[in-house]
Amino acid sequence: MSRYYGTTVDDIFDTMPERFQPQEAKDVDVVVGYECGGEGGGKWRLKVREGAMAVEKVEGDLGPCTATVFAADAETFIGVTLNKIAALDALTSGKLRITGDASLLMNLLPRIFKPYRVPGPAPVTARDIVAGMADRFRPDKAAGVSLKFAYDLTGEGGGRFTVAIADGRCRVTEGLEKDAAVKMTMEASTFVGLMTGTMDATAAFTSGKVRIDGDMGAAAATGRYFDRYVPPDAPRVEELLSLKKVTSIDQRFATGPVMGKWFAGLRERKLLANVCPVCRRTMIHPREVCASCHVRAGEYVELGPEGYVTNYDLVYYASPDPLTGAVRDTPYACAWIMLDGASPEEAFAFEIKKEDLPRLKIGSRVRPVWAEKTVGSFRDLLYFEIID
Amino acid sequence: MDLKDCFVVEAKMALPNQFFVGRIGSRWIIAMRDQKKIMGLRCEKCGVTYVPPREQCHRCWSWIADNWVEVGTTGELVNYTVVRYNDKHTPKKAPYVLGQIRLAGADTPLTHIVGDVDPADVYPGMKVQAVFADGPVNTLMQIDHFRPL
Repeated sequence: MSRYYGTTVDDIFDTMPERFQPQEAKDVDVVVGYECGGEGGGKWRLKVREGAMAVEKVEGDLGPCTATVFAADAETFIGVTLNKIAALDALTSGKLRITGDASLLMNLLPRIFKPYRVPGPAPVTARDIVAGMADRFRPDKAAGVSLKFAYDLTGEGGGRFTVAIADGRCRVTEGLEKDAAVKMTMEASTFVGLMTGTMDATAAFTSGKVRIDGDMGAAAATGRYFDRYVPPDAPRVEELLSLKKVTSIDQRFATGPVMGKWFAGLRERKLLANVCPVCRRTMIHPREVCASCHVRAGEYVELGPEGYVTNYDLVYYASPDPLTGAVRDTPYACAWIMLDGASPEEAFAFEIKKEDLPRLKIGSRVRPVWAEKTVGSFRDLLYFEIID
Repeated sequence: MDLKDCFVVEAKMALPNQFFVGRIGSRWIIAMRDQKKIMGLRCEKCGVTYVPPREQCHRCWSWIADNWVEVGTTGELVNYTVVRYNDKHTPKKAPYVLGQIRLAGADTPLTHIVGDVDPADVYPGMKVQAVFADGPVNTLMQIDHFRPL
């Protein structure tokens, strides 16, 4: 495979004469050697002298050169030429090497040669499109239709044509036939635009780019009897499917009696902790069993409601709210709050009022803000706010 | 136990997902949609035609992604089960038959719904015919179901 990015190394050298800009090369006298390895490579010698250039493919030795470019393979050479591969990267990786006067390649050559562009396909002409109409004709869609319409396409690639549909057949002839039901006049380039879909038919008509003489309805119907024009070199795009789906999962959480006490407390706007009978630590929210002493804890005390922030996380990751699936508003802070009356290190984690985030610090005094109506739920406690 | 303060919290979790069907899967479903054809991928070495298609042969691991072959739209029910519960994710109202169908020309079974039949009348070896969905579905449900032949 010696073809990369749609072109070959030979193409790049072959187009040099037409890309040459003699006026830029008046006092230039250089010889540049090119050596490209691998398949599709070779050696070339470029001579520029007093406003003239010559490039030739060389077998054997390149001879003395002002500068020489070595490319490991055709992909590197073409990639760098087209700026698809950064020259610096290719130099660093060793796939591109320059000996001699490197500045000449970077400064002089881009001035005296226009950049190489991969040749595109020959542009499609209006004449080509009209000529193919008979092939794109759909007898099944034109059953019982008898219609003759004409195109007067001006400018380059245009012409005058008459299209006749009758008895399930379509005939295209040159010239304007007098008995056509409608004649559409436009520039050939407009016609190409309409047929290739780069131009909107309604807009072209209302802006006066298309003139319709005769039966407007027939003009509008003409597209119906033909398959859409597809340029012969249109890239075949692979259609890929994906399925977008929002999975919604219903959930139910049962609190059990201990967490239930906590929720019952929220309903009364109280922050309840339970106390370990052995180590006397306060647990908030309450736990069934003290994790240190492994004993049940049945004694409840109210903490706070005020406290201070011992630490906090500012969260920027937009995780879904597990209760609704809605994406959370970010950033939010999850703060560790030492409520008044809590044992050391038994902090309670909760959110901080969004408006207070900019002035949130370790040590900030905070108080809970409750929902208007408390029912014994997660949502009873809204957030903590900073007390000034 | 004191249940006075026990609460039940109702919640919902919504997870936006996007599943890429893959290049092989896309071609497979597009052929159903545009041509009403069921395609398979064939390993010539092992003589096995895979439906649903897979790009690598399950037995010899050779790449077979370019070796598309058309299989029939009729086949034989290899085995089946009757789904007797309704849930949000189930594609049809229970009871319905989920069958494994070996299509004519294929060597591996395709799992799909067998419809237009009383579950009691279904048996292994039954001949079935694919019924394609009308519009574009762009999933495996591009075949709506299989019906008895």
